[in-house]
Amino acid sequence: MFPRGVPVRIAVIYEPGKRIKPVWFELNRRQYRIVETTYQWKDKVGETSFLHYAVSDGQSLYELIFNPLDQTWTLNTQHTE
Amino acid sequence: MQERIILHVDLNAFFASVEQQSNPGLRGKPVAVIGSRERTVITTASYEARKYGVKTGMSIWEAKNRCPNIILVVGNNRKYTYTSSAIFKMMLDYTPLVEVFSIDEAFLDVTHSLKIFGTPERIVYLLKARIRHSFGLTCSAGIAPNKLLAKLASDMQKPDGLTIIRPDEVQNILEKIPIKNLCGIGTRMEKHLSLLGIKTCAELGRFPANILIKKFGVTGKHLHEMGLGIDNSPVIPADGKDRVKSVGHSMTLPKDISNRQEILKQMLILSEMVGRRARRYSVSGKTISLYIRYADFYSSFTRQHTVASPMNQSHDIYRTAVAILDAVELHQPVRLIGIRLSNLRHNVNQLPLFPYEHKKALMVKAMDDVNNRYGDFTLTFASLLDESEKCSRVISPAWRPDGIRCVDVR
Repeated sequence: MFPRGVPVRIAVIYEPGKRIKPVWFELNRRQYRIVETTYQWKDKVGETSFLHYAVSDGQSLYELIFNPLDQTWTLNTQHTE
Repeated sequence: MQERIILHVDLNAFFASVEQQSNPGLRGKPVAVIGSRERTVITTASYEARKYGVKTGMSIWEAKNRCPNIILVVGNNRKYTYTSSAIFKMMLDYTPLVEVFSIDEAFLDVTHSLKIFGTPERIVYLLKARIRHSFGLTCSAGIAPNKLLAKLASDMQKPDGLTIIRPDEVQNILEKIPIKNLCGIGTRMEKHLSLLGIKTCAELGRFPANILIKKFGVTGKHLHEMGLGIDNSPVIPADGKDRVKSVGHSMTLPKDISNRQEILKQMLILSEMVGRRARRYSVSGKTISLYIRYADFYSSFTRQHTVASPMNQSHDIYRTAVAILDAVELHQPVRLIGIRLSNLRHNVNQLPLFPYEHKKALMVKAMDDVNNRYGDFTLTFASLLDESEKCSRVISPAWRPDGIRCVDVR
């Protein structure tokens, strides 16, 4: 289990229609290739909107959060399937 | 008058279905969504869990007893409110007349949309396809000449169904439908009507209206119409300027408390939540109500106090609520606290007369500005700094995607 809110190195594709598709992220020098984005949603804290992505590498499910204000990505949770 | 065409759309096992879409490992399995706090119950169960008799409101112990393999998932309210708001926005593409009934239900008046979309069935198919494509969710829909019948219809085929009740079919359909299936008839009313020998909707319609009116007053007339399948209530779209009658928040505490300081802290949190929401929507109120539920769950009380001039500053709300608390003797530890501001005045902002009042108003405005920018409780009362739980954790039935009823939940 990873700690919550860990900053991650990530590769994403900006698709037409303002869609962001996470491709892989790195944590502790290991690369996790994303095979499916299972769900996405938005929430707001004050004036900042956060984009949440539930993603799967085929083995585990992760929640990645994008903060558009400071352009950072963090890993929030991990569930082993 | 043109016959109305009303749709009722109900998202199937909404919270559980969202979790099953988020986590493919949960699909096809018995899943129940629960709250994040210690004392929680089943919020929603997936259809796989419902087969075992798991229901909303059931204790976790009972759910596990009925379905030992059940998977419990702590709900993510922001995921649900976002999804719900996005789906309601989709509905507006088919008609401006969308009435949000709860987080997972809405009525659409499509009477005047048929020139663009053809038939109401087509609107349902288009909407269902978009909801499935965007979120992987299914919904049940009902098409009927009014809201009462549309809701009845959508309940007839679940999940993912579509039921149409045409005007000439109403009498036949109501003949066998039990009265409890009608929206607005709860267990207590069902018992009252049962004592009169009324079991089905048609029996309710045939029952002499004057007896119903004598027994239930205005509701009696409404019941008679319900039995006949008549409902003239319009679909009222939310315009963000909802004229609510009260603004309130309540909180079930993680553990029962009897320490006065602990109770006061919770009351200050609730007062700030009520005050913030009231100020955001320029609402002030003259009556403060304090609701306390005791540890035994069944005993509770509500007391209220009305002041001379309307207020919406958190500290004033808190002080009034504390005065109410001081006037009562608590017989047991406290399980739940609620604070409500009512007797509302809309868009009234009285200018402070005295320098002290003026300074206080400026301080509250400065706090609100900071919290609007960085999030609720970023700048707050020093006595709340060590409190970790300072937000709503339950989506109220009154939640709406916009306006004063849009409560931020975590």
